Amino acid sequence: MCNACGFPAAPGHWTDAGASSAGDRLRLRFARLAVVNRLLAPYGLSARDDGATPGLQLFAPGGEWVLVPDLDALWREASRMARGPVDPMSDRALTHG
Amino acid sequence: MAEATGRQDGLLPLVIVGGFLGAGKSTWLRHQLFTRRFGRVHVLVNEAAEMPVDDLLLGRAERLDVLAGGCACCSGRADLLAALRRICDAGAVALDTIVLETSGIADPAAIARAIMEDPVLVRRIVLTRTIVLVDALEGPGQLATEHLARAQAEAADEIVVTKAAEAPAPNRSRLAATLRGLAPDARLGWADFGVETKVETDPDALPFDLGPVAEDSGPIQAHRLDAGSAGGWWALSAWLSALLFARGDSIVRVKGAVRSPAGRLLLQSVRRHVQPPEILPEREQPQEGEGDFIVLIGRGIDPVRLQASWDRFVLGHEGRAEGIARDDP
Repeated sequence: MCNACGFPAAPGHWTDAGASSAGDRLRLRFARLAVVNRLLAPYGLSARDDGATPGLQLFAPGGEWVLVPDLDALWREASRMARGPVDPMSDRALTHG
Repeated sequence: MAEATGRQDGLLPLVIVGGFLGAGKSTWLRHQLFTRRFGRVHVLVNEAAEMPVDDLLLGRAERLDVLAGGCACCSGRADLLAALRRICDAGAVALDTIVLETSGIADPAAIARAIMEDPVLVRRIVLTRTIVLVDALEGPGQLATEHLARAQAEAADEIVVTKAAEAPAPNRSRLAATLRGLAPDARLGWADFGVETKVETDPDALPFDLGPVAEDSGPIQAHRLDAGSAGGWWALSAWLSALLFARGDSIVRVKGAVRSPAGRLLLQSVRRHVQPPEILPEREQPQEGEGDFIVLIGRGIDPVRLQASWDRFVLGHEGRAEGIARDDP
């Protein structure tokens, strides 16, 4: 890999597959954000995507926030903020709301 | 029975041939090269100990390299990646498949992960099949005592039991039941000296008692989750990425086909590592009535809880999941 330009860049995260046009990519970002927030809500966390900044912004209740490049990094940061993994099969996730 | 087919995406197919020490990998591979099952191949042989390479093997493979600098899933990983890059750089015009014969102490999942994490190889090579060989005589003992032997079987798309004729029939049936338990979705075949043979097994035979695995417990089970026309790729990918992060240790494999705006995607993972989803060609597009689905294979996964999580987050069903006790750990 070239040190100066970073080519070939690391391939995108697998969850970013499935959209081949710019419009589809943007729709994917927003549609996915809704699901991500439903998964985060039981843990008091939330994510935002303003459509312009690359990646997602992850917010903790105390005001802490972090910019993450992909969903892998998002779940990693979220587990740090929530002091445990955001588990879609946990009681917390299944009984919230 | 040539499996080699020209790929539209220009990626070079890689087949990993694994199996425990002495399972008969070289013998089996020699016969596959003789029958040209994989078409024109470049064979990479990774031996933990250096072995003389058979002339017949050399004669039937287009090219052959021996990697003797250590096991490709750990100490010899850099050598393997370098060898694969050399094959790609050499121009793969007259090549249908790369076949990697791993050493007997290699975990195929670790090799698959190393290739996926390499920024060059992930664009040039696609892992199409992991074939794991199991010795009909020694296999039950290895599966019971060696964690690695179990990990190899769990990673397989296809399991071939070698030295089939040497094992008594009741043991063959029990071994088949054991392997079906470890890798429920893998194709199970039998071979003698590399030649595929037909073996009748008793479907009601009990599996061998393998005893507890060091860090895991419970049998491996396959769970199918259907989305019909609901859900969609974004919900599924968000949910699955969270699930693999939280419970990747107990999820051995995920396979599935899911619609997306770019086409129907083929989804495959080994442990926590998801391969870049491939777009299925048009002729493999779903027939009417065939919706999105994934098959999740793992250990100790509560099917009720899994379905509830799927319904809630992928299908977007509102309301509390029924039958979920709050005191579950």
